Amino acid sequence: MEREQARPPSFNRRSLLQAMAASLALAGANGRRAEADERALPYVNAPEYVVPGKPKWYATSVRFAGYLQPVLGKSVAGRPVKLEGNDRHPATGGATDLFMQAALLGLYDPERSQVPLHLGQPATWAAFDTDVFRRTSEIDRAQGQGFRLLTGAVSSPTLLRQIADLQKRWARMRWHVAEPINEHERLEATRRVFGRPLQMLPDFSAPAAVVSLDDDFLGPGPRQAMQARAWSKRQPRLFVAEPTPSATGTRAGERLVVPSARLQMLAQAIARGVGVGEVDAPDLSPLEKKWVDASLGALGAGNGLVTVGAHYHWALHALVLLINERLGAFGTALRFTDPILAAPPDGADSLAVLVDDMKAGRVTTLLILEAEPLQATPAALDFRSALDKVAFSVHGGLYADATANACHWHVPVQHELESWSDGRAPDGTAAIVQPLIRPFLNVRSPHVVLDRWMDGNASDHDLVQASWRTGWTEALLAGFVADSAPAAVTPAVANRTVSLPEAPSSDGLVVEVRPDATLWDGRYAHNSWLQETPKPLIQATWGNVILVSPALARARGIENGDELSLRFGNRELLGAAWIMPGQEPHTLTIGLPDAFAFLDSWRQAGVRLEKTGKSRLIASTQPIQDMAEFDYVRTVESGEEAATRRKDDVSFYPQRKWDSPSWGMSIDLDRCIGCNACSVACMAENNVPVVGAELVAHGRQMHWLRIDHYTEGETDAPRHHFQPVPCMHCEQAPCEMGCPVNAAVHSPDGLNLQVYNRCIGTRTCSAYCPYKVRRFNWFEYTGHDPDSIRAMRNPDVTVRSRGVMEKCTYCIQRISGARIAAKIAGRPIHDGEVVTACQQACPTEAIVFGDITDPDSAVSERKASPRNYSLIEEANTRPRTTYLARVRK
Amino acid sequence: MSDIAPSARDFRTVTDEIVDISLDYPDRRAWWMCFIPALLLLLSFLVSVTVLFWYGVGVWGNNIPMGWALAISNYIFFLGIGHAGTLISALLLLLVQHWRNSLNRFAEAMTLFAVICGALYPLVHLGRPWLFYWMAPYPNTMTVWPQFKSPLTWDFFAVLTYLIVSILFWYIGIVPDLASARDRATRRRYQVFFGLFALGWRGSARHWARWRQSYRLTAAIAVPLVVSVHSEISMLLAAGPIAGWNSTVFPPYFVAGAAFSGFAVVSMIAVVLRHALGLRNLVTSRHLDLLAKLTLLCGMMTAYGYWAETFDTLYGNDPQELETMRDRLVGVYAWSYWGAVFLNFVPLQLLWWHRVRVNPALLFLIGLSCVIGMWMERYMLLVTTLYRDWLVSSWQRYHPSIWDWSLFAGMLGVFFTLFLLFVRFLPVISAFEIKEAMFEEKQERKETGRA
Repeated sequence: MEREQARPPSFNRRSLLQAMAASLALAGANGRRAEADERALPYVNAPEYVVPGKPKWYATSVRFAGYLQPVLGKSVAGRPVKLEGNDRHPATGGATDLFMQAALLGLYDPERSQVPLHLGQPATWAAFDTDVFRRTSEIDRAQGQGFRLLTGAVSSPTLLRQIADLQKRWARMRWHVAEPINEHERLEATRRVFGRPLQMLPDFSAPAAVVSLDDDFLGPGPRQAMQARAWSKRQPRLFVAEPTPSATGTRAGERLVVPSARLQMLAQAIARGVGVGEVDAPDLSPLEKKWVDASLGALGAGNGLVTVGAHYHWALHALVLLINERLGAFGTALRFTDPILAAPPDGADSLAVLVDDMKAGRVTTLLILEAEPLQATPAALDFRSALDKVAFSVHGGLYADATANACHWHVPVQHELESWSDGRAPDGTAAIVQPLIRPFLNVRSPHVVLDRWMDGNASDHDLVQASWRTGWTEALLAGFVADSAPAAVTPAVANRTVSLPEAPSSDGLVVEVRPDATLWDGRYAHNSWLQETPKPLIQATWGNVILVSPALARARGIENGDELSLRFGNRELLGAAWIMPGQEPHTLTIGLPDAFAFLDSWRQAGVRLEKTGKSRLIASTQPIQDMAEFDYVRTVESGEEAATRRKDDVSFYPQRKWDSPSWGMSIDLDRCIGCNACSVACMAENNVPVVGAELVAHGRQMHWLRIDHYTEGETDAPRHHFQPVPCMHCEQAPCEMGCPVNAAVHSPDGLNLQVYNRCIGTRTCSAYCPYKVRRFNWFEYTGHDPDSIRAMRNPDVTVRSRGVMEKCTYCIQRISGARIAAKIAGRPIHDGEVVTACQQACPTEAIVFGDITDPDSAVSERKASPRNYSLIEEANTRPRTTYLARVRK
Repeated sequence: MSDIAPSARDFRTVTDEIVDISLDYPDRRAWWMCFIPALLLLLSFLVSVTVLFWYGVGVWGNNIPMGWALAISNYIFFLGIGHAGTLISALLLLLVQHWRNSLNRFAEAMTLFAVICGALYPLVHLGRPWLFYWMAPYPNTMTVWPQFKSPLTWDFFAVLTYLIVSILFWYIGIVPDLASARDRATRRRYQVFFGLFALGWRGSARHWARWRQSYRLTAAIAVPLVVSVHSEISMLLAAGPIAGWNSTVFPPYFVAGAAFSGFAVVSMIAVVLRHALGLRNLVTSRHLDLLAKLTLLCGMMTAYGYWAETFDTLYGNDPQELETMRDRLVGVYAWSYWGAVFLNFVPLQLLWWHRVRVNPALLFLIGLSCVIGMWMERYMLLVTTLYRDWLVSSWQRYHPSIWDWSLFAGMLGVFFTLFLLFVRFLPVISAFEIKEAMFEEKQERKETGRA
């Protein structure tokens, strides 16, 4: 029995048919339980509504840091193959982020835990249930004394109901939350100012000017998709003061490089400027004064908003709340609701209290559900040794990782894409998570784990449905529960006295900790798509670096890749140096997963820095980021022409006339925040393989769509640019001229095609490509993939094998789909009918795709803008992908 | 002219001297001492190609943007040195320069083996080498022809033509000597071997008439090929819109460079062979002098190519071209540029002196310097251009892997193995053509005497 359980998953016809049967049961989304017939039978009569090759789309959500991210999941033959933004969702309107895109790989990850483990050995669920039953009778006797539940942040009504049930049965049990990146300080600020904790929901589409004190509201996080979409609608004037470059900083009109300790002086100056009473006048440097004056000027014009990074002290948030009140932002640019995430009994100290109790031996039974306290808590907390004092510990999670190994039991849980659940989006809108596939591993939903713990016998479907007595079907169809966001409240300020704490010490070097742009707090470390996604401002993959300012690098003789040793107390962190233009001179930045082992706060002064003398390989996709004298990313004054060449291209040859449709793309560089959602979406859509750190360091990454990062101007305070570079689909493509075997050819609808079957791998196309967007299969990257990865592949896209060249196709499979649909209906393809994967994923709608021969199409309108220009137009390739220059603000 | 014709005593001793090398090799120990390392290098070739085919081109150091690198630079290098052989044997034949008769056979053999090495490179360089024949126009179920606008398609035809013509020219030239060897062979297997390949040559007047026609005709085909093939190979780079390649100076520049490196190699081989096989009276110091002069001439033409390229870049003032020039002069691969400039042109200047030209050791060293210099130049052309092309974002470094180098060593093994087998078993110098030269010289002397 055990042996059978431990078997790795494999997709055979039987399991696929089971999966299909499951999706069939779901197809109606009619509120019945998705109970599949366990017997596998071939179709005698094909079931209705199942058209082979025709995908089905289901609205559901994936979870990120407790919040739900609304998605539409594409399912082919019972297998989810792509997640897209849910365009009807009130919060995101279809915007996505890279974590949402990469959740698909989480489902199929061959490293996922597949069977329960008891003391590290494979075991059965039956054995687990028996063990838990024995345990719960003990818990019964103690009325829950010593029983603790540890989860990540929770917004799920069903889970909260279950926790309430637990507490009902065992009055003395306690619930704790471990969520390293959180909004405790913001909630604390609202509690102090308004008398009760409130969720701040800034609406970046509302203000005309935003002043951000190191608040990376466009950067990675559960709110990125929502906030970036809102920001892109209006693109308010943006003033950013920050110690280390961020996505938000790159969009700023005025970016001030300051140590984080100076932010509260800036806040004070702004507070005084807008007339918040009783604020000390800070000493400002001329540069700071200039920035504050500019910010005040913009805020003074009305309709302004000031924000602070979530991890700063509550008092600073409180001061900024008062500023925003003066600015009249309440209710418009800044809305408040009741907290969206459920607060555990001990609030921000939840985890610390648990660890104290564990160390004191007050915890006898610990159930950890979908939290990884061993990796994602500061080492100083010493969760590991505390865990040893617990008599019975259970870990339920997707991976059998460090926490799992340290617990007595590890049980594998379901991924959101294969389970029923619910929760709330970052704006508070509730949604029901429905499975796109029946679990193909021996896993249980976390809801079921909890239910069995209480001797229940319900399925995850029933457990979730019990929370949603009405509107179930509508919610499943829409992907969210309409009008379920908590009502906005207009709080009255109860306390106007804000005493800012002492400015933190700035002795020596200061280390700033930031969430990892692709791994968040390390929870996505298993996801190879995210590992291989370059961190936007660094362009490093597979591991983090220590950011060093150019000034410090000059002073200490540090070069990129030098191994640095950071010491604080008796702890040491080793990492590769990366010189970051625009970094505050005495600030070092480290990413979160690294920081856990080193620091227990977001900021630490007095850190010693040494070079070890060794150097480390940085798997960078772009070693050089200084744009130097080139004009790849152009910046124009408002209304100025960006293109430098004459529009009527002079040629010896007659101009080719293009029939409709003829495809083209426009990318607005002002909107691009470098979030990489497009790049990960492209990997998912086009079966782009992952190659690993070593090959990336070698220059062999496979991304069809890369986001180039450039700095322009002086290295201490440069302008940062992002430039997404897909295939340009040149009208005069050098690759087509170079290919000897007709593998690179042009289609009548203006696409530069790559015919994999014809390619023999001469690599001429790549040598001739001025944009180097072509990717080569140096090895067999796809043939050895595990079955689960094969099941994930998009069946509409050829999987490339060794020795062939590949590149962006403008999602030709989507174009074909639209063309077929249009042909059947006997009509032309409508504008907006073909949406490329990158375009769909983009939270800021920077990418527009369509027919360039149609003057009314969205892409033609974009290309008619004076900001339109071609990348290296002097190469005379006449690219179909063009850019909109940035506007100097 | 007196010392151009070999100073052998009579016609018979010339044939003896040459053909006996094949039938009864003089210094077998020395030959084996060369052949065993060559076989080891050949083994390196076999291992490298096996690894390459098993795992894929990824075992090399190539990446994006360096999709082309060492393999292509070696391809250009090997084909380049081949051209000197054709120039010596075919062009000088047509120009009735009898002094070539002491050099043409081994120069042609060198051409042939270099072309084989060169032609192997693009084949093994393919991502899917088992489909190499898709480059050829043949009726196929896909109904796809090669794409004739591609320089690679031209390349395929150019190299194939050059290989066929080189084989024909070399083989036609060797037939009469194979017959001599057949006639002198005493052992059965030599008689059969030379007998088969001598194609029944009996030396009749009709044979000689036909032979003369075909030999001259092939030579007339071969000579323009030297120019066209290497011009075409330069197109491989010049047709790409990449700064540093996209230049009209490339075809003549490449041809001059090819001949330059080829003459350097021929000089080296001549020095070694005349020493090793005791052929000083057949390959005289006068021959070395002439080879050195040709090397110097082609070297100066190549230097002009360098100068013209630099001038064009500065005059054109295109930022991308200037950037590439900067990368060449001071970039991380500047060693390949300055190495090429120094090794190609500095020792070369010694050849202005007659005493250096006729000094075999010095000539060998200068030749070696030029060959290494020209290899560096090919490397520089590929690497300094591609590693930093249009977009800063695609700039990458390139490090050839161990398998790049082992294949290069292996390719040298292919060359040396073939060449040593040639030296061991075939007449390395054209005996009958030398006799022809001697005869004509005698006639000449008679006529002068009579006059």
